[in-house]
Amino acid sequence: MPRIFRLTLIVICVLAASIGAAPRQAKPTAASSSAINIPFEKHTLPNGLTVILSVDKSTPTAAVLMWYHVGSKNELPGRTGFAHLFEHVMFTGSGHVPYGLHDKLTEGVGGSNNGTTNNDRTSYFETVPSNYLESALWLESDRMGFLLDSLDIAKLNAQRDIVKNERRQGVDNQPYGRVGEILASTMYPKTHPYSWPVIGSMTDLSAASEEDVKNFFRLYYAPNNSFLAVVGDIDPAHVKGWVAKYFGDIPRGQPITRPAVAPVTLAAEKRLVYEDRVPLPRLYVEWPTVGVTSDDAYALDVLGAILTGPRTARLTKALVFEQQAAAGVSARQGSNEDVGEFDLMINPRPGHTLTELEAAADAIIDRLKQEGPTADEIAGATAGEELGFVRGLESNLGKANRLADGAGYHGDPGYFKTEYAKSRAVTAADVKRVANKYLTKGRIVLSVVPLGKTDQASKPGESQKVGGVQ
Amino acid sequence: MRNNKTIAAALAAFLACSSAALAQTLDRTKVPPAGKPPALHVPTWTKTTLSNGALLVVSERHNLPLVSFSITLVGGANQFERADRRGVAGLTAAMLSEGTTTRNGDQLAQALQLLGTSVSVGIGDESGSIGFVSTTATLAPTLDILADMLVNSTFPAESLERLRAQRLVALTQANAQPGVIGRRVFARVLYGASHPMGQEPDETSVKAITRDDVVAWHKAYFRPGRAVITVVGDVTQAGVQAAVEKALAAWPAGGDKPAFTYPALPATHPLTIYLVDKPGAAQSTFNIGNPGPPRSTPDYAALQVMNTILGGQFQSRLNANIREEKGYSYGVNSGFSYGKGPGPFRAGGDIVTAKSDAALDEFMKELRGIQGSRPVTDEELKTAKDALIQRLPGQFASVAQVGGTITSLIVQGLPDTFYQEYVKQVSVVTKGDVVRVAKQYIDLDHASIVIVGDRATIEGPLKATGVAPIVILDNEGKPKT
Repeated sequence: MPRIFRLTLIVICVLAASIGAAPRQAKPTAASSSAINIPFEKHTLPNGLTVILSVDKSTPTAAVLMWYHVGSKNELPGRTGFAHLFEHVMFTGSGHVPYGLHDKLTEGVGGSNNGTTNNDRTSYFETVPSNYLESALWLESDRMGFLLDSLDIAKLNAQRDIVKNERRQGVDNQPYGRVGEILASTMYPKTHPYSWPVIGSMTDLSAASEEDVKNFFRLYYAPNNSFLAVVGDIDPAHVKGWVAKYFGDIPRGQPITRPAVAPVTLAAEKRLVYEDRVPLPRLYVEWPTVGVTSDDAYALDVLGAILTGPRTARLTKALVFEQQAAAGVSARQGSNEDVGEFDLMINPRPGHTLTELEAAADAIIDRLKQEGPTADEIAGATAGEELGFVRGLESNLGKANRLADGAGYHGDPGYFKTEYAKSRAVTAADVKRVANKYLTKGRIVLSVVPLGKTDQASKPGESQKVGGVQ
Repeated sequence: MRNNKTIAAALAAFLACSSAALAQTLDRTKVPPAGKPPALHVPTWTKTTLSNGALLVVSERHNLPLVSFSITLVGGANQFERADRRGVAGLTAAMLSEGTTTRNGDQLAQALQLLGTSVSVGIGDESGSIGFVSTTATLAPTLDILADMLVNSTFPAESLERLRAQRLVALTQANAQPGVIGRRVFARVLYGASHPMGQEPDETSVKAITRDDVVAWHKAYFRPGRAVITVVGDVTQAGVQAAVEKALAAWPAGGDKPAFTYPALPATHPLTIYLVDKPGAAQSTFNIGNPGPPRSTPDYAALQVMNTILGGQFQSRLNANIREEKGYSYGVNSGFSYGKGPGPFRAGGDIVTAKSDAALDEFMKELRGIQGSRPVTDEELKTAKDALIQRLPGQFASVAQVGGTITSLIVQGLPDTFYQEYVKQVSVVTKGDVVRVAKQYIDLDHASIVIVGDRATIEGPLKATGVAPIVILDNEGKPKT
């Protein structure tokens, strides 16, 4: 859920670069193994703000990333969508920053800005020519310390309208656009913090009072819940001075109680069919798995790469190349902070039913669960990480994201090294184990079919209809 | 870990004192002044002609063990595809991964996967490329695979059938996406069916492509005489020249750069709304514009400044008004598609269905505004120039960006000193220039307004705006009765 649509791809690239895995066969050269590093220094202000600095003088630019440990999971049922709403409100000015100045001091000087929100965290970022770094820090500090001074109901309403347009564009007017929220609300019980969409309920957004919204801000957008990463052509001594100057007097907030996030399992398979304005049916299968704090996430990442991706991956090879029943197939582990999901999506070719494709995919997965992957499969699936990591070093913003994620989720900005080592350490036995542990009968099978074509669902007689297109 | 608890505690104590002291004096209303502007460092590069006639461009950069390698072919689908075979370029590009005389498709994929990289092949409207980014250590073996794909591909017939079937599914899926429909119909009404810019692959053309078409197309298109080979990163000029000569030794010389002669544009017509029905659509997708100038236009710098004010940025007039002030959209923008031909000027975005008429009025108001009815302010002019000039260093952050930027200068026939000159050209643009190029290149008397949306809801209100007559078109841009 970004503030501006066009920057989404950049964020996805950054994330994709961080998911890959490590080379096991390619001989690491001295140059490349030493390249698996991001030099950084970290300190914490008395008010709790964690500050991470990393110098890279290759271009005269700098990235500022403010990572707040608040996402949609911190919301309450009936009051959803607040974290994402703030992602918008935070660009509309603050106590000492009139509306429009934030854009002027970033994109208006040759830089850029955006924000993203997910279940677990919200991040706000700017890239600027390095001589504008002090003003970027001033902007970030003002909206952390003084946002509410200038927030009124008119501003809130304007941003609510824009968020509703964001939902129309990304969900309602997109073929298959509602799949994400159908899966989440099926996977998690109604009161579970991962059950509602990040963008929130439009009814909740309309119902929220100014005071509801302000209270949410006071609790979660405080220095003790925040991580600031500054990366690029910087002088650490200067930056420390500026950070102390602009952030030092922002008071610490109240202690935060994190939501209790219970892992979920599904007792039985849930089969659903959803009618949408789509030209062709599509099959989605989702299993509950683990989040970033579980080491099983690394083996699940490798499992995804062994099942789909290159033409030699098992499901791709079988369904797209040998049986030629699918036009495309993808499988991947999605790791949130506390929980995760393993997702499979199959695009059928005309003349092939979802029932047939589901059975074919299950047969391939069952075989992998029995045999486990080969050593070559493990090597191939993990060979891309070195390049992915080093390419990530080309972007100040990419590095800032990695450092802040490590600090926010794992208490260590240097956690990327641990992640890299853990990815490299995944074995065939690990993959076999997680496939058997997680890809079980307790799953969701969702068929999305053209309007009026519920007979095109996988096993239509056993699939329950979910709410249709409005 | 680099962090040390004792140091952190001492630092925290120091910062606590200093911030308390500063809190007394800090005036937050003062915008911190900018530091001294950094000098613009444009990467340098060498140019050499290889024995097969290809131009080799090398830009050394040793901060990371990375290399970007690409072979760009000058000319693309618009120059080399027949109208009844649109899509052959894309299928040929995909077929290069399907096997060579010594490796089948699986073996190619496995070899690349173990190197941790991938070779991408893509052919656009006016150029095509085959290339990769690798680590320094895997450059040579990856280059060998690329050369094998380029020279020794076997184009298996069964692969073509599989790829064709996948393309047809993708075309069907695309037909449900308002953004895709809007761009397609917009191109069709601007350029007409007989102009390459008005055509794109469709079910008929993709079904008509034979293996012979693909083989012939590959043979005619992938020629070193029209190739620019760009290598950026952790290499030396001498070393990479020898490596490329050796790897591409079997690529036979020949081929010319195309002339880029496009047919005449269709006769203009008065401003018209073209409405494509998408029943029940939550939003109306707008594309407004007309054919634009080529990249070589002497007005390039002035057009960049003008568009930055109009719709190139978040706080540009279109987005500031239609998204931020009115709340009709998640984002609207405008821009030119510069190339060798008359690529379009386009303004547009997705508008909530109920405000389609109001948004149309605002689009027209801003387009007329930039042509003079809403004077450009000093601040708008300064911000646009600052943004355009100061963003340049960020264009050279990655090896792939550097490679793309240099290649684009060469393909467009621009001087090596382009960026240094561009800074000067942007800085002298006046308010008068902005209005002049807006009038010259945005032809509101003859523009096309393509709207994909829920006809039952929006046709009446759009008509009531009185902006222009409405013509109903289908998903392909053909008149609907």
